Amino acid sequence: MTFVARTWNRLTIPGRVLLGLFLLGGLLTGALIALIIFSEPILELLGANLPLVRFVGAATVVLLMTIPTAFLIIYMEMKIIALMNLRLGPDRVGPFGSLLSVVHGLKVLMKEDFTPTGADAPVFTLAPVVTYLASVMTLLVIPFAPGLFGQDMNIALLYFFAISGLGVVGLLMGGWSSFNKYSLLGGLRSAAQVISYEVPLVLSVVGLLILAGTMSLNQLVLNQAGWFTDWYIWQQPLGFLIFFIAATAEANRTPFDLTEADSEIVAGFATEYSGMRFGFFFFAEYVNVFIVSALTVTLFFGGWNAPFPFPEIALAFDPGSLGIALLILVAVVPVVGTLILAMPFYLLRSSMPFWQALVIGFVLFNIVAVAAVLGWAFVSLEWVAGLLWFMLKTYTFVFIFVWMRGTLPRVRIDQLMGFAWKWLLPASLLNLFVTAGAVVLVRELGA
Amino acid sequence: MPRSLLNIGAPLLIVGALVSLPVGLAFLGVIRFNEDLLFFLLAEVMLLSGLLVVTMRDIIRCGLAMIVCFGALAGIYVIAGAPLVAAAQVLIYIGAISVLILFAIMLTQTKDAPASLVFQTQALGAAVASVILALIVVITVAATDWGELGTRLHTATDALAQVLFRDYVLAFEVVSVLLLAAVIGGVYVAKREEGGPP
Repeated sequence: MTFVARTWNRLTIPGRVLLGLFLLGGLLTGALIALIIFSEPILELLGANLPLVRFVGAATVVLLMTIPTAFLIIYMEMKIIALMNLRLGPDRVGPFGSLLSVVHGLKVLMKEDFTPTGADAPVFTLAPVVTYLASVMTLLVIPFAPGLFGQDMNIALLYFFAISGLGVVGLLMGGWSSFNKYSLLGGLRSAAQVISYEVPLVLSVVGLLILAGTMSLNQLVLNQAGWFTDWYIWQQPLGFLIFFIAATAEANRTPFDLTEADSEIVAGFATEYSGMRFGFFFFAEYVNVFIVSALTVTLFFGGWNAPFPFPEIALAFDPGSLGIALLILVAVVPVVGTLILAMPFYLLRSSMPFWQALVIGFVLFNIVAVAAVLGWAFVSLEWVAGLLWFMLKTYTFVFIFVWMRGTLPRVRIDQLMGFAWKWLLPASLLNLFVTAGAVVLVRELGA
Repeated sequence: MPRSLLNIGAPLLIVGALVSLPVGLAFLGVIRFNEDLLFFLLAEVMLLSGLLVVTMRDIIRCGLAMIVCFGALAGIYVIAGAPLVAAAQVLIYIGAISVLILFAIMLTQTKDAPASLVFQTQALGAAVASVILALIVVITVAATDWGELGTRLHTATDALAQVLFRDYVLAFEVVSVLLLAAVIGGVYVAKREEGGPP
C-alpha cells in the first residue's frame, strides 16, 4: 500500500493523468473482451429483462437531457430578468451572451469542493445527489411527443408526485449535515413548505382525474386532442390555478423561495455548499422549473397536441424514391447552393472579396437547409411536430416562471403556511366536490 | 491518498458484496436468474438498512436509513406487481412520514449532545420480540394456501379502486374516522395548557 502511495506521489500531474488513462483504457478493453466473449448470455439476460433495460436506458437519456435544459433556462432567466430590469444582461460570451451559462457550469466544476468542519460528510455529499435524482426521475413519465416518453405507466401521475416529493429529503439532508443554523433553518422550511403544499397540489389534480378517468399522462394527453377548447384548462380553471400556485411552491420558486431566502437566511440549505455539489442543487432547481412547466402543459394545456387540428399536408415526392440520384443530389446541392447564394453578394458589391461572399453564402445555405429539413420533419414525422408544440408550450410556462421571479416579491414564511392551509386546501376541496357533483349530474341527466 | 482511497473503496466494496451475493446464488442455481435476482438485491438493501436503523448512533442517519429501507420495500412491491401500492408507499412513507420524523428530530435535537437511543438500551428485548415476530410471519406464510394468488398478479388501479370504494367501503370509512379521531386527539393533547382541563 505504501509502495503504491509513494509511487503515486512521485508522479507529475501529466503522469497521473496518463496513468489514469492507461488504467481506464485497460479496464475498458477488458470489459469489451468480456462483453464479446459473453455476448450471448448477456443479450439473453437483457432480452429477458426488457422492461428493466428500457427503464435504465430512458433514465440515462433523461439524465443527459437535463443538462442542456438547465443551461437554457439559466440563460433565459439571466437575460429575461435583465431585460425586465432595463439592463443588458449577459452579452460577452458567445452570441448575445448565450454561452455564459456554459461558463457558469465550467466555473462550478473548477471551484474547490469544500466540506465544512463538523459536517456529516457522507450525508453532506449525498444530499445534492438525492435532490437531483428526484428531479430527473420525474422526467421519465412526461410524454414529450407521440411515442416519445420514458415509461407509459398506469399510475404515472402518482409516480410523479411520489418521486418529486423525494427532493425534499435531499434538502433536509443538506440542511442538517451542513452544521450551520442557517442551513438547518432552510432545510426545516423546505420540509414544512413541501409537505404543506403537496396536499393542495395532489388534491387539485383529483378533479381532473375524475373527468379523465385515468392517471396515465399519455392517455391524458390523448384525451385532449382536437381543438384547444378540448384542453382541461377550460373544465378545471380553479384546479389549474391551485395546481400552478402549489407547483410554484413545490419547485421553490419566487414568490415561495423561502428555503433559500437570501435576505433572511443567507442561502438556506445551500449556505455551506460550494463547487459541483452546489451546482447539483442549482441544476435541480432549474430542471424542476422545466418539469413543473411540462407537467402543467401535459395536464391542462393539451401536451403535445396542436391547438387546432393540423391540416394534413402530403409531400409532393418521397426523397427515398430517388434512389441513387439522392446521393448525387446530396453531394451536389451544398456546393451549388452555396455558390448561388454567394453570387448576389459578390456581383452586387464590388468591394467584397470572393471568400467573404462564399462564407456568407455558406451560412445562408445552412440556414435554408436546416429550415427545409425541419419543415420536412415537421410535416412528415408526427413526433417532431408534437415535440415542437410541447416545447413551445413548456417554454411559455418557463417564461412565466421567470417573469414571476422578475416581478413578485417574496412572501413571509407564516403567510406562506397560512395560505396553503387556509386558502388553497379549502379551494381544492371545493374544486373536487364541484367536479364530482357535476360529473354525477351529467351522468344522471344523460341516462 | 489512502484516506480518499478508503472513501471510494469502502462503498464500492459494500456495493460489490451486495451485488455479488445474489448473482453468485443465481449462477449456482439456488435462485432463478431473471425473476429473483432483483428481489434478492432489494431484500438485501432492505435488511441491511433496517439493521442500520437500529444500530447506528446518529439518529438523523437512522432516519435516512429508514428512508432507504422504505424505498427498497417500494421496489419489492413493484416486482410483486403492485405499482400503485409502491407509489403510495413512496408518497406517504418516504415523502410525508419520514420527512415529518426527520423534521421533528431536527427541531428537538442538538448535534453536539447526541441522545442515547432508547432502542439501543433495550436491545435484548427487541431481539427476542423480532425473532418471535419473524417466526409468526414465517409460520403464517407457510400455513396459508396461496393457490392462485401465488402467481404474479398485476393489480390495475381501477380494479383496486372498485374493491376499496365499493366492496369494502365501510371498513375504509371506519379507518378514516379512526385516523381523524387520532388527529383531533393529537391536536387536543398538544394544545393543552397549564391549569386547563387535563
